[in-house]
Amino acid sequence: MAKNFRLVFTAAALVPLTVLAAACGSSTPSSSSSSPPTSSAATSGKITETGSTLLFPLFGYWQSGYKSVAPSVSMTLGATGSGTGIADAASGLVNIGASDAYLSSSDMAQYPGLEDIPLTVAALMVNYNVPGISKPLNLNGTVLAEIYTGKITSWNDAAIKALNPGVSLPSLPIVTLHRADSSGSTFLFTSYLDAQDPSAWPSTNIGTTITWPKVSGQLAETGSGGMVSGCKATKGCIAYVGISYLAKTSAAGLGEAALANKAGKYTQPNSSTIAAALSSFGAPPSDGAMSLINTSAAGGYPIINYEYGIVKTTQPNATDASLIKAFLNWVVTTGNTSTYLSKVGFQPLPSAALSIAKSQISAISG
Amino acid sequence: MARFSNASPIRWLGLGGAVVPLLMLLFVLVTLIIKAIPALEYSGLKMFTGTTWNFGAQYGTPVKSYGLLHDPGEEFGALPEILGTLATSAIALIIAVPVSIGAALVIVERLPRRLANWFGIFLELLAGVPSVIVGLWGVLTFGPFIAHDVAPFIADNAPSWLPFLKGNTGHGQGLLISGLVLAVMVIPIIAATARDLIRSVPILPREGAMALGMSDFQTARKVTLPWVGAGLVGAVVLGLGRALGETIAVAMVCGVALGSLPTNLYADMITIAANLVQNIDTAILDKMDISAFAALALILLTITLIANIVARLLVRRVSGTALPVGRGL
Repeated sequence: MAKNFRLVFTAAALVPLTVLAAACGSSTPSSSSSSPPTSSAATSGKITETGSTLLFPLFGYWQSGYKSVAPSVSMTLGATGSGTGIADAASGLVNIGASDAYLSSSDMAQYPGLEDIPLTVAALMVNYNVPGISKPLNLNGTVLAEIYTGKITSWNDAAIKALNPGVSLPSLPIVTLHRADSSGSTFLFTSYLDAQDPSAWPSTNIGTTITWPKVSGQLAETGSGGMVSGCKATKGCIAYVGISYLAKTSAAGLGEAALANKAGKYTQPNSSTIAAALSSFGAPPSDGAMSLINTSAAGGYPIINYEYGIVKTTQPNATDASLIKAFLNWVVTTGNTSTYLSKVGFQPLPSAALSIAKSQISAISG
Repeated sequence: MARFSNASPIRWLGLGGAVVPLLMLLFVLVTLIIKAIPALEYSGLKMFTGTTWNFGAQYGTPVKSYGLLHDPGEEFGALPEILGTLATSAIALIIAVPVSIGAALVIVERLPRRLANWFGIFLELLAGVPSVIVGLWGVLTFGPFIAHDVAPFIADNAPSWLPFLKGNTGHGQGLLISGLVLAVMVIPIIAATARDLIRSVPILPREGAMALGMSDFQTARKVTLPWVGAGLVGAVVLGLGRALGETIAVAMVCGVALGSLPTNLYADMITIAANLVQNIDTAILDKMDISAFAALALILLTITLIANIVARLLVRRVSGTALPVGRGL
């Protein structure tokens, strides 16, 4: 009896210690395999990814597609948000961080040894719930900035009418929706407002989380899904949502604005307007960091961006490096075909960006 | 104990198990303080009095201050978050305390035994509902109901000398909803504890009070509740601790109005926990932002510790006069 009791007591005392040990153990970097690298092109192992929630679904499609190419490479994905993805890649916690934005000079200074590889092209929509409007509404950065600062409060405001001659706009109060959580969409949207009209939207208010000007009735929504459902439920709303939610915004009956570009022309995001915008920016610099906001091409859509894979150029071992290189090379070629991209409304890398991406990928070593 | 005198490894393991929680608290505290120092130096008193919160220009030229390279234009004024945390918890307690104690009294003294047991089980189940579910219910059902049906009624009927209760009644998120959602989470905690306490009050003093001609209400107020006064304070503090630290549910219903003090009872607001959970992905890349988050966490921890210490002092004061015997009713 005493012996039994002693056994139980020991076990009970061991529990907190094992928990502690497990907690410490989980923070060690996940290296792909413990076996020594055998050849330069490893065909089995593990790739880990965390980051952008916008890229996450596409990474899922890539994961299942890559299975047929490299069946013994396993992948774990995490939708944590771009910032966490970059931080995880920097600390070596994961192999690839997915980000909606390129690395800033501050990121580069704080986390040396990271590179941002363009993987694909995304776009941001501006949606609204205004009954009785069949044609897409024309909007520009000045009007959007004035809506989001509370200067324009009704859909039949003279400034909106001026952009949409002949459209009968209802006298409906505008309800502005913005993201409650930190988001690459917020960064792209506020970048566009500032690029179009810096006097209406100051550059100090660009970011993944900003302090929104106080506007009566404004709503904060968590996640792109929250933006769509919030806008569906609120007549008179205006929201910004990633292009991958196109099917959902259409199903919710939301309108999709035609946005003004730098040339003053109004376009909606589709393959030709995004391609036109891309060609106006030319080749990205060798470090891949490039803003694609507010194109000067007349037929170009003004809010597009490269989606990035954030990778440490020096990987812990040669096996990891070769696994990542093989996967990323597949992503920017086969993974950039419409089989994968059409599911989320993204567009393939233009050839200039593709060659930059390939040279960045080849710079990864173990 | 003598039985273990020759089993020293077991004693060491037991000691280790006992010390681990203490070490964990110390570890958290020390880490937070070390991490928070640069942001506290950078912001100074503005951390507690400022109302502007800015994560800085992410693509600006980085600047260096207090040993950390960071984005330009950062400002950390946490007053709205601190007040928001305290105000939501206060609203929660104002509603939860009378409701829970009333419920506990009814369960113990009024309901038949079998029904009371069912009620007890129900209360404990309610206390175990994950807060994300309460938050979801708050966003989808409770918030819109309050905004459409309850808030306008309060705003219309509030006296004019209480302008904080008047004005725009909002859209189903904000200060009042956050407080109410917290109350829903706190009520089962306080009620379940209060029920156990009230059940422990001996029958004799209560019968004595009845014999003196007291009504049920008088008995409860003069005999039953004072008997367990100290315990009740403890129960309320348990609820307060839950309310202060509650993260997800409040983050879902507070409106996440970064850097804005609520203009009335229904306005969007923010709490410390809501800022931490919604904006960690923005803060994580910038060491000064992370330092500011550590400072926020430290402030939240301090508020909780102060609440606990005050509660302990109260318990000591109350327990000195808890026994109604001979007090001259």
